[in-house]
Amino acid sequence: MPVWLREGSWRQSPSAVYLSLPLRGARATSANIFCTDQYLKVSIPPFLFEAILYAPIDDTNSTAKIGNGIIFFTLYKKEVALWDSLTLANANKEELQYLRENAVLKAHEKAKEETEAKKVTKQEHKKYALEATMKLEEAERKRIEDLKEKERQKVTKELELWRKQQKDAEKQKGVQKEEELHHEVEKLKAKKKEKVNKTMIPNEGISKTGLKPTKGHGSCSMFSENLKEEQLPAPRSAATIKINFTSRVFPTALRESRIAEEEEWLRKQAEARRTISDDLSELEDLKEEEKNPDWLKDKGNKMFATGNYLAAVNAYNLAVRLNNKLPLLYLNRAAAHLKLRNLHKAIEDSSKALELLTPPVPDNENARVKAYVRRGTAFCQLELYTEGLQDYEAALKIDPKNKTIEKDAEKIRHLIQGTTQES
Amino acid sequence: SGLERPQVVAHVQQALSYTLFDCKWVPRSARLLCLGSAARGTGLLQLYELRGGRLALLREIEKAKPIKCGTFGATSLQQRYLATGDFGGNLNIWNLEAPEIPVYSVKGHKEIINSIDGVGGLGIGEGAPEIVTGSRDGTVKVWDPRQKDTPVANMEPVQGESKRDCWTVAFGNAYNQEERVVCAGYDNGDIKLFDLKTMSLRWETNIKNGVCSVEFDRKDVNMNKLVATSLEGKFHVFDMRTQHPTKGFASVSEKAQKSTIWQVRHLPQNRDIFMTSGGAGSLHLWKYEYPAQRSKKDSEGAEMGVAGSVSLLQNVTLSTQPISSLDWSPDKKGLCVCGAFDQTVRVLIVTKLNKV
Repeated sequence: MPVWLREGSWRQSPSAVYLSLPLRGARATSANIFCTDQYLKVSIPPFLFEAILYAPIDDTNSTAKIGNGIIFFTLYKKEVALWDSLTLANANKEELQYLRENAVLKAHEKAKEETEAKKVTKQEHKKYALEATMKLEEAERKRIEDLKEKERQKVTKELELWRKQQKDAEKQKGVQKEEELHHEVEKLKAKKKEKVNKTMIPNEGISKTGLKPTKGHGSCSMFSENLKEEQLPAPRSAATIKINFTSRVFPTALRESRIAEEEEWLRKQAEARRTISDDLSELEDLKEEEKNPDWLKDKGNKMFATGNYLAAVNAYNLAVRLNNKLPLLYLNRAAAHLKLRNLHKAIEDSSKALELLTPPVPDNENARVKAYVRRGTAFCQLELYTEGLQDYEAALKIDPKNKTIEKDAEKIRHLIQGTTQES
Repeated sequence: SGLERPQVVAHVQQALSYTLFDCKWVPRSARLLCLGSAARGTGLLQLYELRGGRLALLREIEKAKPIKCGTFGATSLQQRYLATGDFGGNLNIWNLEAPEIPVYSVKGHKEIINSIDGVGGLGIGEGAPEIVTGSRDGTVKVWDPRQKDTPVANMEPVQGESKRDCWTVAFGNAYNQEERVVCAGYDNGDIKLFDLKTMSLRWETNIKNGVCSVEFDRKDVNMNKLVATSLEGKFHVFDMRTQHPTKGFASVSEKAQKSTIWQVRHLPQNRDIFMTSGGAGSLHLWKYEYPAQRSKKDSEGAEMGVAGSVSLLQNVTLSTQPISSLDWSPDKKGLCVCGAFDQTVRVLIVTKLNKV
């Protein structure tokens, strides 16, 4: 409950009221002054002073000074008159309450108006600034445009002048050249008679004296053309230069390259090289070279070539145990199985090889073609002609120019058609 | 103060009703030629004249096959015959006054002729007039208009080698009657330099991206500089004066535009200024600065070249489609014509080139 302050002293002049309130030891900084045009409230915790003023005052211009243990108010009256007392007497509680509320509302409204007014002025300032910058930029742009226009016009004029000059020059030269030409033609006729029996060897001497007209404009005369030929060296003797183009691992230009896939393929190959299977205990008694999958593959190939297919398969088996990621091992083993009529095994191996030959890139084209062909052959020997045809067509897609594949595919097609007709 | 750098001023713009592949100035005139392909699959040649602020169509010639490229390089100034390469691999030389029948015709290649260049004509340089064509069939052939049917030089892949498209060719080093080189760029980034005097491969390199355009700064001098442009916005400037036995020619490269650089053309009046045209419809004007020393000795004492530096003078975007062809006028400094895939031919003037 605040303590009411009643001890203010006041005096007045016709236009203003001077009120002084003692601070009573409370700190001045915490003074909270609320003033509308007819209500004044000062709250200095724990003290409270409140006054319903006798007559309205101009609260925007009135001031309050805090210092020296007192607050000194200078309130400017709205109407010039002398007040009977500072506050309105006979104010009952309800009236007081009403007036207080009113005062608060009024204060709020005032505050609102003020903020709105501020906003509006701010907006206007902004707009003004924007317009000013726009004008400046416009001016700059215009200046540059003008300069460019001037250049353009100057240049167009120059061009016109030049064109006219060209035309005049041409006309003039035309006339001049005609005269010259007549002159020269006479000379040339004489010389030509001399030369008739000689062979057409480039003859610098005559050409130099007789050839001025060819450098000018105008129509050709037969004589000037002939002489021109003499001035020039004979056509080059034909020759061919053979060239090579830059090769890369994959010979495609940067824009065509399927680098991602090609890198993957290279990586896979590199990894495959490095794979060594763990099953080394059994292999301890093998010789060093027999532990090398490549060497074993070569051995297998040699045996295949001599017709010893079982031995080839053995070699490939050992190689696979050492490194099961090399597609070529499976490919060659498939061929060996085919020769041994182990058709299911051949199909298995070709499939495994194809699996390892992904991603499909130009580098492993040959291998893929072979895998498809071998698998196709195996299918056909098992009389699974449709599967076989599928594989042959896959092979053909990779290598459309291979005639043997085409022929075999045709044969299979006929076979299929033949069996369907029969059944 | 005015604008200091060279400005590219768009002088005339003309919309066409066909796809434009190449545009060339007719020498010693204010006329230009547009070569392309009409919608119905025939070739079109249009001759325009620059009149006032517009292009006036003087002549339109239609041919059986779409025309890809053309050059006046091998013709004399009074004849001004145009050599063209078309989509069917035919090389034809036309007299524009009487274009019904070609003056020279040969089915030079099995596939489209991508690029053509001529040397020995127009009063520039010495030696026989020759035309070189580069085609998608991987061969580069040199023709002499006096010899029918067979080329005088043929640069083809070795038997069994898979072919790469040749996208661009250029003559150079034609400073006397005997010397001549042909530079060819391929789609896998190969650049090969063929010496026609010794009929051998003089130098080759690979710039990783397909080579869209090569040009020597001057055809008729001892080879000085070669600019090669490629896909992915890169171009290389090679200093051709010093060839190291293993390292070849020194070069500086610049990555300029985010898209393919379709063409490079040197200013005829100043060989250190060149313009590149890009896939995003932009043109960049460059200046090459020579280094203090053009050559130095390497650790073994062999001479090797030192490349200089390239600086951008100006750039401008004219179109949203690639600018596929570009030609400077040999008669008026700064006048150039460019053709883009938006079926528009534009005549431009580049100012202040004297002050560069």
